This record gives sequence, structure tokens and C-alpha cells, in this order.
Amino acid sequence: MPLFLIYSIGAVVALFFSALSLATVAWPAEDTIVVGSKIDTEGSLLGNMILALLEPRGLTLESKLQLGPTNIVRAAILAGQIDIYPEYTGNGALFFHIEENPAWKDWAAGDAKVTALDREYNGLVWLAPAPANNTWTIAVRKDVAESHRITSMDDFAKYVANGGRIKLAASAEFVESPAALPAFETTYGFRLSDEQLLTLSGGNTAATLRAAAEGMSNVNAAMAYGTDGAVAALGLVALKDDKGAQIVYAPAPVVREAVFQRHREIATVLDPVFATLTLETLQGLNAEIAVDGQDARAVAVSYLKSRHFLP
Amino acid sequence: MTSRLALAARRPARSLPITIRNQVLFTLVIGASLAVLVAGFVGYAPNRLVSGRPIALWAAADPLSTAGILALGAILLTACLMTPSRTLHYVVAVLAAALLLLALAAAGHAASILTIGAKPASRISLGAAFWTLIACAALAVVDALQRLAVGPAARVLAVAVIASGAVVLATSGTFDALSIAREYDSRHQVFADALLRHVTLVAASVGAAVAIGFPLGVAVVRNPHLQGPVFAILNTLQTIPSIALFGLLIVPLSLLTTVVPQLAVLGIAGIGVAPAIIALVLYALLPVVRNTSAGLTGVDSAIVEAARGMGLTRRQIFWQVELPLAFPVLLAGLRIVSVQAIGLAVVAALIGAGGLGTFVFEGLGQYAVDLVLLGALPAIVLALAADFMLQILAAVLPSRLAP
Repeated sequence: MPLFLIYSIGAVVALFFSALSLATVAWPAEDTIVVGSKIDTEGSLLGNMILALLEPRGLTLESKLQLGPTNIVRAAILAGQIDIYPEYTGNGALFFHIEENPAWKDWAAGDAKVTALDREYNGLVWLAPAPANNTWTIAVRKDVAESHRITSMDDFAKYVANGGRIKLAASAEFVESPAALPAFETTYGFRLSDEQLLTLSGGNTAATLRAAAEGMSNVNAAMAYGTDGAVAALGLVALKDDKGAQIVYAPAPVVREAVFQRHREIATVLDPVFATLTLETLQGLNAEIAVDGQDARAVAVSYLKSRHFLP
Repeated sequence: MTSRLALAARRPARSLPITIRNQVLFTLVIGASLAVLVAGFVGYAPNRLVSGRPIALWAAADPLSTAGILALGAILLTACLMTPSRTLHYVVAVLAAALLLLALAAAGHAASILTIGAKPASRISLGAAFWTLIACAALAVVDALQRLAVGPAARVLAVAVIASGAVVLATSGTFDALSIAREYDSRHQVFADALLRHVTLVAASVGAAVAIGFPLGVAVVRNPHLQGPVFAILNTLQTIPSIALFGLLIVPLSLLTTVVPQLAVLGIAGIGVAPAIIALVLYALLPVVRNTSAGLTGVDSAIVEAARGMGLTRRQIFWQVELPLAFPVLLAGLRIVSVQAIGLAVVAALIGAGGLGTFVFEGLGQYAVDLVLLGALPAIVLALAADFMLQILAAVLPSRLAP
């Protein structure tokens, strides 16, 4: 009977695929360390560094790099689905809903605060953060920056106050969140009108940077991240936040305490490496991935070799 | 008398200098020609983040390829004016397929010429004219095959010839200088995993949807009072935006694993593969249930009566009469859900399920269009392949099932 035959073949195929899907899901072995990262450039760079550094230590590792956006990766480590991933100290403000606390605007105090809170409430260990700050900045076109000598937010504020032409592309979050553009405005004493803003709801820095670089809708400034590798490649200049208006986002590995207790060597391996990751270093490495299109793993490994962290 | 009238009516048409006898092909040739004239065949960008400067076909490709493309276009344009015949349709199909492969080769070749002496970061991407040319050539092949009304074997042969031509070009390194190949090159280690994960997500969810949806569809036909509530629920599910549904599943599944920790061991958690498959199954249920019930209700009641008259039991009628007759509709449902699931599984990357969506969202984050394409193009190819294979299956099966 052909129909029964077809259905039994169908059943076998279905079983095969179910088995296959279970096999690819494959729950980790007892002492496997699952390394995660966010689905962005710096996430894959730092995640690959963690993987490359821990592999020669004889640890069983599983890669869950590029897992998802911040909320997903954070949920994953809280649920114990991943054991270690790179996070930013300043995001503690978001995780614990205490954006107003002044500690976040200081590199060391922010690190201490998030380390204490996460250890107490979530059993997470923050390792030493990199001496870099991947915070919100404003980047302006090089021609504007050079002809008007704008290098810092102070210069930018004066330029705006003197009636200089500016059109800033930014996400709605950047424009509205009190910690972002409003914090710049109150700290440096300037104010951008609605005509001077191009708000992209849900826009990311890739979109805003490109708008400024290509002068779309007369945009000549863009919201950006401090360690973004694309800023220089797109002919833009990131402005310095000398007065510390923004929350400090220093990248650091976060480990589940249970895993950290078993493998204390993680800290001795990762801490010296993160200590070398300055703002300029991260910008350069991120640019190799985002601008030149190199493989994040290759970029991570070649950096670690050049600094003799890997043989 | 009537013949003279007909002649008179036809006369104005004859007095026209040319008559377009194949309007579909004519539209495709004109569309492709306009695109080639106006838009860039490839784009040249100093790095992968900025928009490329468009370069026209004749400026980018080697003279031989350009001449070949133009000649094939001219021949196809002439074919529109010729009296349709089977031979002509065969010729059009072969020439359009050749044009498609030639355009691919020309783009790859143009890229390798343009890369010579350029900075390593510079990128050559495929332009609007290329995509239009490829699409029009492919549609011309499809149209010619449709006019020929060829069987499944010939269709498989046509696709196999074009696909193997493209594979030969790819393996000989023709495309290596193109931006999308460079994206693949830096990610080839994870690409195979992502592709396999994508196929697994789709296969597991479509398999589960059929396993749940088919009995549900049969139940709806047997108990018509179930029809209202079942379709109301499934229709509502279908209207939830995919990102929202993927996101909505995180909370209940996380709660579930906290209450029943054993589930976590099985890999069921708020993020990852489990919620992705659940969401994909929920989306796939409506087409499966609807086509099952439509297929079964569509069976002529006279045939069922006749079967009953012949003394077949209810079970025999279902398996030997109703199901075979409803099978093409069920297969159409399977086609819909497969193609739909392949597209929706891209979004699953946002909840940690992996798959081709990883490249799409990484590319969107970096504004690197070619990285987006590295995720999107294989997904499109997968969808077309699934659609084509199920179409062929639908064309082959009924003849086998018929007594």
C-alpha cells in the first residue's frame, strides 16, 4: 500500500530531524564552560578573546557567541545557560534600575557598584574591566570638526551656541533618555532644537554614522559609541566628554560564581589581557572587524599573539 | 462572408510594422535593458561600511562578457517578435539560462578586475542592474518552461543545469573578489553551522506542526463545531508579529524551567532553540490545519458515498479515498509552512537560536549590507529550493497514488 509506505517514510524522516535537532541542541557536559557574547562587533571580539585565552588552559568550552541583544544575553547568564560573557559596567544602571546614582559616571566606582550588586543579588562575578569607555558620544564630520576646531563636547557646545549649523542623527532613546543627550545638554550648557535633530526610532549607531558620513538629509553629526571602529573610517571625529556627562561603560568579563569557584584561573588569564584594552586599542580592533570585514576570531587571536598572551 | 470580415478586422494589426508576440518576454527584456542602462552593474566602495559608487556594465565587465550579454538580450528581444512555437520556447529557455550564467560570470570577473591594485578594505558589491538582469533572466526561463508545459523531469533538469553552472562558477573562484564572498570567507567556519541550524529549526518546527496540525485538521472536519474556536485561535496567533512572539515566549518558558528544573536539562529554556521552535510551530499551525481541513472537505462526497457503497470501512475510506484525494492540498499547505518557516527562522537569531539570522542581524548592526546578504541570500535559496522540491513532489505523487 503506497500511502502507508509514504507515511512510514515520512515518520522516519520526522524522527531523523527530531534527533538531529536534539543533537544540535546538545546539552553541555558536566564541567563545560559556555562562553556567550552579544550580537555585535565588540561582543564577538571580546567573546573570541575569552574563548581563545581559555582554550589552551585545558577547559572544556562551548561557544554561544553572538547569542542576541543585551537583554537576551543577560537573561541567559541569569538562567545559567551561559557561564561567561563580556558586559559593560554602566549597564548595571539598567539592570538594577538605578540610573540616577552618580557612581555610574565614574570608571572605578561604577565597576565597584555593579560588582557588589551582581555578586549579592545574582551570584555573578565581574572580572577586571578594560581601561576603556564604550559610552555614548557625539561624532561630527571631519570637515566640520576641522574648519571649526571642534574636538570636545565643550567646543561642540560653543559651536551650537554661536549658531553653527548642526544636524544630529540619533536614536529616539539617545534623544529622550535623561542619561544620554539631555545629560550632555545640561553638563555643557547647550540645547538642540527639533530642527537640529534627525531622530531615528530604534536606530543604531551604524545607521546614524552612515547618515552623517554620507550627509543624508544634511546630517553632519551622529550619535556614536566610544570604542566604535567605524567612526574614523567613515570620516567622522568622536568628541571628548571631558566633564564626564555620560555613564561609563567599561567592558569586563562576567562569570557565574559557581563556575568561577571551580576555575579561579579564569581571572588570572583574562585580567592582564583586559588591562591592555584601551579605548584606542578597541577602536582599532573593532575597525578591523567592522570596516575591513575581517573574522572576529582572527582579529582577536592576532592581537593576543602580538601581545604575547598566546604563543 | 465571415472570413472576409475577420480578415478586415485583422488588417490594422498586420499594418503595424512589428507585433510583439510574447509580451511577458518583451517586458522582461525591456526591464533588464533599462536597469543595465540606468543602474550600476557592480558597486565600488572604499570599505564595507560606505555605499558603493555604481559602475555600469560596460565599464565594469570585460568587453567579451558585455558583448555576450547584449547579444543575448538582442536575440531574446527578436524572439518576442517571432511566431511562438515549441522550438522558439526551448531556444528562449536555453538563451535566458545562458544569460543568467553569463551575468553571474561577468559580475565575478568584473570584481576581480576592479580589485587589482585596490586597497584590501575596498569592496565590490553587486549592483541593481545585476540583480534586475538575474531576476529577469530567471523569470524568462520560468516563463518559457511554463509555455512549454514541460513535466517535472524537465523542470528538475533545467534547475539542475543552472544550479550546477552556478556551482562550477563558484568553485572555480569566479566570485572570490565579490564583497559577499569576502564576507563568507571571513565566516566560513561558522557558516556551515548556521546553515545547518537554520535547516534544523525549520525541519523540527515543520515536522512538529504537521504532527500536531494534521490530526487537528482531521478533527476539525469530523467535528465542525470545533472549526470556529480552533481557527479563531490560530488566526490570532498568525497576526502576532514574529519578533513579539519570540519575545513573549521568553517569560513563560523561563518560569517553566524555574518550576520544573528538569526541563532545563533537556535544553528547554526562555532563550535559544526551544522558544524559536515553539514560535515557528505556532505560526505553521494555521496553514497546516486549514489545508488539511480544506483538502478533506474538498473531496467529492459522491466518491465517498461510492466507496461506502463498495463496502469500505470508515478507516479504509479515510486512508484509501479521502487522504489520497486531499493530498495535493495537504502538500500545498506543507509548501506554505516550509517557505514561511525558512523566512521566520531568520528572526529567531534575536533570541539566541542561531541560524542564518545571525549574519543578518550582525550585518544590520554594522550596516554592512553584504553581511546581511550572506544571511538573507541562503535563506532565499533555501525557501526557493523547498518550494521547488515540494512542487515537484506534488507533480510526481498523485500519478503514483492513483490506482
